[in-house]
Amino acid sequence: MLLTTLIFLPLLTALLLVLIPANFRFVLRALSLLATFVTMVLAVVLFAKFQPGVADYQFTAQASWLPALGISYHVGVDGLNVALVLMAAIVGFAATCVSWEIKTGEKLFYILLLLIIGGIIGAFASLDLFFFYFFNELALVPVFIMIGVWGRGPDKNYATFQITLYLSLGAFLALFGLIALYVQSGANSLDLVVLKQHLAQKPLEAGSQKLIFPMLLFGFGVLVGLVPFHTWAPLGYGSAPTATAMMHAGVLKKAGLYAIIRVALPFMPQGVAEWMPILAWLCLGNILYCGWLAMRQKDLNLLIGYSSLAHMGFVFLGIASVSLIGITGAVVIMVAHGLLAALSFALSGWLYNQTGTLEMAKLGGLMRKMPFVGMALVICFMAGCGLPGFGNFVGEALVMFGAWKSLPWFVVAAAWGGLVIGGIYMLRAIRSVVHGPQPDAWSGVSDAGNIWRKLPFAVLIAALIIFGCFPKLLTERIKPNVAEIVEAAAAKAPAKVAVTK
Amino acid sequence: MSLLPWLILFLPLAGAVGITLFTQRDRDLSAKISIAAVWLSFFFSGLLCLFTSGTFKDAGLSAEWLTVGDLVVDFGFIIDPLSSLMLFIVTGVGGLIHIYSYGYMHEDRAVSRFFASLSLFTFAMLGVVLANNLLMMFIFWELVGVSSYLLIGFWYEKESAADAAKKAFITNRLGDFGFILGIILVWATLGGLNFSVLKETLAKNPGAMGGLATAAGLLLFCGAMGKSAQFPLHVWLPDAMEGPTPVSALIHAATMVAAGVYMLCRVFFLLDVPGSHAQLGYMVMAVGLAAPGAAMFHLATHAFFKALLFLGAGSVIHALHHEQDIWKMGGLKSKLPTTYRTFLIGTLALCGVPPLSGFYSKDGILAAASPSGSHPNPFLFILVVGVAALTAFYMARLFLVAFLGKAKDHCVDHAHESPGVMIWPLRILGTLSVIAGFMGLEQMLGRFFGDEHAHSLGYIAQLFAPFGHAPLAAFFGLFATVLGFSVAYALYANASTDPLPAKLGFLARAMRDRFYFDEIYTGLIRLTHEAISYVASWIDRWLVAGLVVRGTHGTTELFGRALRLVQTGNLQTYAFLLVLGVALLLFIILK
Amino acid sequence: MHVGLEHYLVVSALLFSLGLLGVLARRNVLVMYMSLELMLNAANLALVAFSRFNNNLNGQVMVFFIITVAAAEVSVGLALIVALYRKRQTAHVEDLTAMKL
Repeated sequence: MLLTTLIFLPLLTALLLVLIPANFRFVLRALSLLATFVTMVLAVVLFAKFQPGVADYQFTAQASWLPALGISYHVGVDGLNVALVLMAAIVGFAATCVSWEIKTGEKLFYILLLLIIGGIIGAFASLDLFFFYFFNELALVPVFIMIGVWGRGPDKNYATFQITLYLSLGAFLALFGLIALYVQSGANSLDLVVLKQHLAQKPLEAGSQKLIFPMLLFGFGVLVGLVPFHTWAPLGYGSAPTATAMMHAGVLKKAGLYAIIRVALPFMPQGVAEWMPILAWLCLGNILYCGWLAMRQKDLNLLIGYSSLAHMGFVFLGIASVSLIGITGAVVIMVAHGLLAALSFALSGWLYNQTGTLEMAKLGGLMRKMPFVGMALVICFMAGCGLPGFGNFVGEALVMFGAWKSLPWFVVAAAWGGLVIGGIYMLRAIRSVVHGPQPDAWSGVSDAGNIWRKLPFAVLIAALIIFGCFPKLLTERIKPNVAEIVEAAAAKAPAKVAVTK
Repeated sequence: MSLLPWLILFLPLAGAVGITLFTQRDRDLSAKISIAAVWLSFFFSGLLCLFTSGTFKDAGLSAEWLTVGDLVVDFGFIIDPLSSLMLFIVTGVGGLIHIYSYGYMHEDRAVSRFFASLSLFTFAMLGVVLANNLLMMFIFWELVGVSSYLLIGFWYEKESAADAAKKAFITNRLGDFGFILGIILVWATLGGLNFSVLKETLAKNPGAMGGLATAAGLLLFCGAMGKSAQFPLHVWLPDAMEGPTPVSALIHAATMVAAGVYMLCRVFFLLDVPGSHAQLGYMVMAVGLAAPGAAMFHLATHAFFKALLFLGAGSVIHALHHEQDIWKMGGLKSKLPTTYRTFLIGTLALCGVPPLSGFYSKDGILAAASPSGSHPNPFLFILVVGVAALTAFYMARLFLVAFLGKAKDHCVDHAHESPGVMIWPLRILGTLSVIAGFMGLEQMLGRFFGDEHAHSLGYIAQLFAPFGHAPLAAFFGLFATVLGFSVAYALYANASTDPLPAKLGFLARAMRDRFYFDEIYTGLIRLTHEAISYVASWIDRWLVAGLVVRGTHGTTELFGRALRLVQTGNLQTYAFLLVLGVALLLFIILK
Repeated sequence: MHVGLEHYLVVSALLFSLGLLGVLARRNVLVMYMSLELMLNAANLALVAFSRFNNNLNGQVMVFFIITVAAAEVSVGLALIVALYRKRQTAHVEDLTAMKL
């Protein structure tokens, strides 16, 4: 019930907003804030009440929907997605907070934003892959509209265009994979619980595993911005309104990764064996190539976009290591990066609102005029280059430790990319945005003054620090389920053994 | 009892957080909170030392921080003579610097931010000192890096300060890159991170590291190089002077640079395998010479007199209203008597004049390298003697030009002694610089590192000990000092401009430009990362985003444009085509 | 003369063809719309006839549905046409080639 409330509270609030006249702006905003705040509180309750190490899904709810095809509304959390639900709810609240910047068409904006929030929580919580896909799309489609309508910058239309096509294509490929999984498994269901039982008895044939796995890997990989399918990401984030960039970069991207870990890894061990070496190379593309690209960016949002791709590389490295430590680290990064990316875009949104530009050469010396935002920016970028004390460090360290045994040289490259290249571009950004003498043009800018303006930043930073200082909160929940997945992913398929006998 | 280390560690953090969150506006209160925090830590360190006499083991000292699979990371403390000594240096010398800063930074706008950073720095240093495992050490190691970044870049509006901070952080990052890989390597081969576990594993099976020992040693050493500003990662240190002077004292002397040496001493047992010494020897000499006791001893005394010198310099700068050029000073002896006296002590101690502390600690290292020492190495021995002479020379030069002689600029006329809050730390550090040599630290550390020769001597015997057990080293050390002093006196006793550059020609220019290291590094970065990122960006822009993505887009669009011609928009044409289609279908089906 | 199924179907086919001709040939949207209704009713006639001659009520039930829905559809459709006419001051199909107003 708690989970269902979490999913439908934002969705129903969106419905309610439809009925409110568009000029009741305060009511619209207050209702959205209230709904997302309650969602966040409920998510915290869910996270706190979750019992680590219990084998089954918790807080489950099920309702039959299309019995003929074996599709049902089935939600539940285990260690893998409980933190993601929490992260989505926190980012959702922060994104609603920063949406004061929207001055036109607020009604539609808040409706779409609430759809995204409810949709993505639904996607994370769904145990039926049909509903996972449905909720994920429910969250994705408003993103395109929001970039198209409230986007900024000269590339807005092209960005909308590219992001829509890329993500639709990726989702389409992934859907293809899911349908193939449905047909090939013969389980007549896309329910994770049923699928797992069925596939344990009767695994997929090696041939179909090798075909379906890349569909899921690359289909969902496109949604995450796996090199070379990444060009949409920085461009899209550069043009998106703040809340949309926060939700997409922070939360929606993680759905793709989540699906890879949840579906592709445990059900297709043969595919894992076949494709993981390739993924390892691609993840270097994300870490190093996107890192170098970030070094050259002149626009702050593009820099954040590329750095966020570089962080995704660490998640892919963790996945490619197919080890308990590595994948646990990958999930930790997913949570931490969700908060971090949201924080980065919230801050760059603030800067854009105050200065009207994000070109780093034009900015500078903003620390004096905006001490709070400046400090938050330093904190955020420090967290971004993997400073201990923030969740990202825990995740990245775990990934490096976990991947060392199978992919030592990749770890060396990743450490270089994360520590040195990451350090260089993050510090350059701090140097040119908040340090140095302050140009006269920015004498009129203002800091996040009252508590409401500070709140979104404070919430995100606090969450990052809590997960960074007490990583057990996450890892204790995550690792039992990851252990299961790793065991399944590393298992040799019995079918093949039978053939060789 | 096991509560004490927690208090020691977290008090400064509480100070930093409290100042940042609550007392930003009240500059005076912020400073006092920070000072109180560090001195409380000092007090508790004293209690800890008193009750445990240096070594302490307890379950309450450690808590599980993170466990995933076979990666177990504790958050725990190690209390032994080594860390106890460092606790005193960090909180004691650091505390004096805190007090000094209260005077020095009094007029600054952002005192609260300064003291918050200072407290954060203290917290991070204490963490490095107390950490009982490698990863925790790395965590605080990084925090030291970031807090020094904040301190160096304190005057962030100055381009040079902001650049210096950035440079310091990135250079440190290069070292940390090696450090974390070393940690992972050690973990992967020995299966643990805790120092005690590692020690046990190595004790059971000395060859456990196998061929990786050298690699692991070099990687860990990389980290120390970054923090301690060892060649070739030294470039950030001179620039770090852009921070306020107390920060320089803190970074150079008391702590940060010492962190590297401390880390090497802490992981000494990992490196203690034949073969790896040779490489390390030329870099961190004493550790390389397998004399970590001597290294720590020198570290302690060095902390006293180096901090003293920096704070003294700060006092001069404060008195002269931020004039830093020594060729505009001179004759400060009468204007700043206390600063003059303490600076003199610091200079003598640094140069190794007996019976000041520098003499004894430097002697320890010299003795280890001398022909009769534990690790005879004539090349290093001569090197150390040479460096000692050079040190004596440049310190004497500074002293002669700045304090003695006649005033070279009228800014000296208005100079007056700094307030008591700045002077007292100088006095205390001066006293420590005098007596630290024969307090018995050396023996304590010697015992810790398992040197059976170490034994306690009476204070008087202690005074003359160096001449007894390694006369060659002691006499050579003294000789070097005297040589340095006399050359400096001959050149600078009455000089009003620097005569040296003219004599050295090109060498002087190279020195002024710091042997062009900055240029070399900038060039290297240009050649590697900038070039690669340029190429990557070109590929991304023209090949990936251009050719592939825009290409796909273009072909699709072309196709669409062609198809658009069919769409006339005329409803009846559509209907007609529809009917035609139906008729065709009917014809095919019914045929 | 005995009126059989064929007669009904022929009438229905004639009506349908007339309607189709109207939709294809007439230029006035309103007239086209009326022709469209004619086609719909031709189909209705065929359904009722089949129903009658097969002794099966399904067809007649279907026709009721169609009439109901068609009524609703007509009201929406006419409203759209009127709205369009007010906006564009024309009901000629050749003038209405763009999706935009």
